[in-house]
Amino acid sequence: MTVLDAFVQWLQGTPLSLWINQSTWVWPLCETLHFIGLSLLLGVTGFFDLRLIGFFKRVSVAAAKDLMPLALIGFGINAATGVVFLIGLPGQYVHNRIWWFKVGFILLAGLNALLYEGRWSAKALALTPGADTPGSLKLIGVVSLASWLAVLYCGRMLPFLGDAF
Amino acid sequence: MTDLLASIEGSALAAWTRESPSIWAYSTILTLHTFGLAIVAGANAVIDFRLLGVAPRIPVAALPPLFPIMWWAFALNFITGILLFMADATARAGQLVFYVKLAMIALALLVTIAVAKSLRREAGAIDATIPSHLRMLAMLSLVLWTAAIVAGRLLAYQ
Repeated sequence: MTVLDAFVQWLQGTPLSLWINQSTWVWPLCETLHFIGLSLLLGVTGFFDLRLIGFFKRVSVAAAKDLMPLALIGFGINAATGVVFLIGLPGQYVHNRIWWFKVGFILLAGLNALLYEGRWSAKALALTPGADTPGSLKLIGVVSLASWLAVLYCGRMLPFLGDAF
Repeated sequence: MTDLLASIEGSALAAWTRESPSIWAYSTILTLHTFGLAIVAGANAVIDFRLLGVAPRIPVAALPPLFPIMWWAFALNFITGILLFMADATARAGQLVFYVKLAMIALALLVTIAVAKSLRREAGAIDATIPSHLRMLAMLSLVLWTAAIVAGRLLAYQ
């Protein structure tokens, strides 16, 4: 924990961290972008996950996947703005266990997506419109949807469930 | 008007929302509002980007089941939004950006309803090329829902 504390102290003293905190507009701008990003990410991955689970069968998995670049843009916006928050007030996050849960759920969603890409993507993309998905793809869809909703929950509840605010 | 706002803010429900230490009060109401926002704006984005030409392999006729999901999420945000307003009625009523937010939501709803009606009428026939009025509505929808998010977010800072 001491290494982490030292890192937090160093980060808080950097000019970038001070600038993020002293600016009147950086934090509100990044929060606003973070909400736009989360809508894009949840909307697009949610649609894809629902298809994997078995809804929207008229849409082939391959066609639903075509929207995924938008989800990646949403994730990119949120990763970037998230780093701004972390640099601005590192102690507020790394000493909050709910933040670590949030990071954990992001990693779970990422590993789940890698599992899909590595083991199931070819099979899924070959499914025709109207075709049902096998149980393993349904499970991947459920894990993805649940993880992203948990990420949103932990993020929004950070100030209320944690102990560092 | 000031009396009315003060009495709303002083009501038992508003006081509970604002002051209860329970996890189910302010924090959960705010979080549900965020879930609803993500579903409404996110599902809209899926429809809007498809109508603007992204992911053309998605049949437009397959999109309408997204609307009931959006209406339920909007209802959630309507209810949680009223509770959040009640909790801080006098402050919110004094913020210009609050009225901007309400106006954006009203306009965005009208546009989304127009898109829903249009898709119900002609979805089967428009897969190849999206008619220009639908593209226009999709663009407006993206701009207005984004503006509603921006105004809502800025409520916390004004």
